[in-house]
Amino acid sequence: MTTVPQNSFCEEHKIVITGIGGQGIVFLTRLLSQTAVNLGYPVVVSETHGMSQRGGSVISHLKIGGNEAPLIQRGSADVLIALDANEAMQNLDFVRRGGTVFVSSNEELHPDLLPHLERLNIRTLHFPASAIAVELGSPETANIVMAGFVCAYDGLNLPLEDLQATIKQIAGKRAEGNLKALAAGFQAGKKKIEDSQPLPENSR
Amino acid sequence: MSTQLLTGNDAIALGLVEQGCRVATAYPGTPSSEILAGIIKYKKALDKDLYAEWSVNEKVAFEVALAAAWTGLRAAVAMKQVGLNVASDPLFSAAYTGVKGGFIVIPADDPGPHSSQTEQDSRLLALTAKVPVFDPSTPAEAREMIADAFALSERFKIPVILRPTTRLCHAVSPSADAPASSSDGKPVSPKFQKDPAHWTATPKLRYKLHTELNQKLIEIAAEFANSKYNYIVNEDHGGEVGIIASGVAFHTARQALLELGVRVPMLKIGTPYPLPVNLIEAFSARFTTVIVLEEPDTCIELQIPNRQRVRGRLDGSVPNSGELTPEVMFSVLSKSLSGVGIQVNPSPEDADLSAAIKKLSLPARRPRLCPGCSHRSAFYAMKQNFGPRAIYPGDIGCYTLGTNLRAVDTFVDMGASITMANGFFQANRLVGDDRAVIATIGDSTFLHSGIPPLINAVHTGARFVLLILDNHTTAMTGFQPTPANDYLADGSEAPRKVSIPDLVRACGVEYVKVTDPYEQEDFTAILNEAQAHTQAADGGVAVIIADRPCVLYDNDPILEHPIPVVVTDECDGCRFCTEAFECPALVLRADGSHVDIDYKLCIDCGQCIDACYKGFIVPKLAEMVP
Repeated sequence: MTTVPQNSFCEEHKIVITGIGGQGIVFLTRLLSQTAVNLGYPVVVSETHGMSQRGGSVISHLKIGGNEAPLIQRGSADVLIALDANEAMQNLDFVRRGGTVFVSSNEELHPDLLPHLERLNIRTLHFPASAIAVELGSPETANIVMAGFVCAYDGLNLPLEDLQATIKQIAGKRAEGNLKALAAGFQAGKKKIEDSQPLPENSR
Repeated sequence: MSTQLLTGNDAIALGLVEQGCRVATAYPGTPSSEILAGIIKYKKALDKDLYAEWSVNEKVAFEVALAAAWTGLRAAVAMKQVGLNVASDPLFSAAYTGVKGGFIVIPADDPGPHSSQTEQDSRLLALTAKVPVFDPSTPAEAREMIADAFALSERFKIPVILRPTTRLCHAVSPSADAPASSSDGKPVSPKFQKDPAHWTATPKLRYKLHTELNQKLIEIAAEFANSKYNYIVNEDHGGEVGIIASGVAFHTARQALLELGVRVPMLKIGTPYPLPVNLIEAFSARFTTVIVLEEPDTCIELQIPNRQRVRGRLDGSVPNSGELTPEVMFSVLSKSLSGVGIQVNPSPEDADLSAAIKKLSLPARRPRLCPGCSHRSAFYAMKQNFGPRAIYPGDIGCYTLGTNLRAVDTFVDMGASITMANGFFQANRLVGDDRAVIATIGDSTFLHSGIPPLINAVHTGARFVLLILDNHTTAMTGFQPTPANDYLADGSEAPRKVSIPDLVRACGVEYVKVTDPYEQEDFTAILNEAQAHTQAADGGVAVIIADRPCVLYDNDPILEHPIPVVVTDECDGCRFCTEAFECPALVLRADGSHVDIDYKLCIDCGQCIDACYKGFIVPKLAEMVP
């Protein structure tokens, strides 16, 4: 068993992951849930199955460290991870007060939503995961780039090295590409955090 | 070895394999489809001698497994809830005859419904058929229940139903590596023993069997009163309100109580039929109000003899249709608890944010046929040829989405497109309506229950065009083989494969053509020829087999002959292609001025070239490729 992370789950941690069929939502969910299980946490996931495998809306509910209800109630998710801006907005009301939204997108969400997010103290971080995946030469790894980005912000409460170990465990021959994507997303996230830190007065 | 994460369907499959199930059968249907695939996976992993098949339909699946149980082996059959209707004939009979080896029937219900014609509650069918039910609330519990269901089945010689629901089938949670409990499932004498008085019982003896069945149920109800699947939580929190809940609804209710900030005693029921009524009565007696929470209908609530203090779906305290989502659960409990003066937290959902999202009118991604789907080409040609006046009876499968293209006017159940076409023809004939009738059905659905309707239509002289949309697999549920495939459930080679054209001919159809819907010109010509056959003096039913593999299952034909396309600058955004052809890869610009190809989705089938009558969708020429 790997070491339990510092900020272990004393309570439930609820993550909603959404996007479009074909973007790898199911694999991303599996990466996070398997990592949590490897760390010894109780996990419940609810997947979307059925009609419209390609191009339809897909949503996963992932609960770490809580009870056994499979679905997350609107207004109670700690984190929303969206691989598509439209799906992010459709599902924004899953996020609780003070929660965080990570969107794979070049743009901010619709301006009409921003005052509500501010009022509810919901932090939104958009990030071009697809563009980074394309740069890496594997556009299909945008989902993993996103995982790295979110991990940099500690939005998952799952340590980077454990996500890496899970990739080696479950990604098979895609492990190498996925590890690169995870690292790229993580670095981009760390950089964004540094850039957004206001510099101390005297160093200007 | 790390702890394994299992879906509910995998947990059920593992439970069956580790408890010595020897014969497992199924017909695919969401949310149950992954159970049989899981059985094959664990059979290989645990090296078990087990026979598993995708049967041609649920009745066949039920009877194959039942026969195995009559020999003394442990057997199971899985299906979706509407599949149990198809298998209900043998279900009712099997309740009377009973079984020898353990026999578990697994109909997966779909509260919501997410991908079904109805929300029907299989527990109510079980109640009518008099078959005991286990109602699991988590994947791990479902796996554990398999052992007890087999044991109960063998002890009382009765079929047992394990009834999961969508949110359990598709939930994923950790499961222990070791078997829930060990049992070889070794039958006493694994051989069919002839006993005509029992297995072929005449009506007089069936009366005796019914009496015996009723006695078994009384004994089982007494046993269920001590079942570990029925227990109380929040016992020490008194008050006026108690909750009785089963299945996934139990956990959803517990979560809702946390959000509400209230603790209420809850009786969890894992054995809803025959209901251990004394447990319910003893629990209920402590409260002035008891709320029953179950999905999708009212199996427990219906069986409670004294319903004076009972609130649930029957009196409207709980919505009488639909899934008990966390939001519905919160609202139901919030209303009931505050109604008796208990203070609860407000909903965590922010109504203003939800309203703001709604106001944006974001594009909903409704289910659509996949890019390159040959059904789209068939529907498009059919619709262009016969126009909006023709009647288009459709059937159950991916191709039900042809309703988006207005090429599916009806769907009822498996095989109904052919019977409905027959009925429309006869009704139209009586009133002198000469509209063309063109029915569509998939290959798996045709084999499942299209053949008797076709025989009926031929024999009674009906005249319509039937398109069998043959994509070579059961696509919607995940590519399970049909009898027309040359492989079996476990991937091994099938001893024989059944020919759909030969079957159609054998039904007495004289006009049978096999054609590729991608060849739209030829396809349209054949549609006209077929329609002419239905009108000819010596004509009848005309069958066209639209033959093209599902692109998700086998896209080799496209990879071999790709036809990349571009939309020319002349495109004026008239939307004809996006509406009449509706390929997800055809995307109208936000300002509506032009259609673009989404090359992430496009699979280079070139089928949309015909969908722009203005000629603005054209093949991408080699020299244009950078």
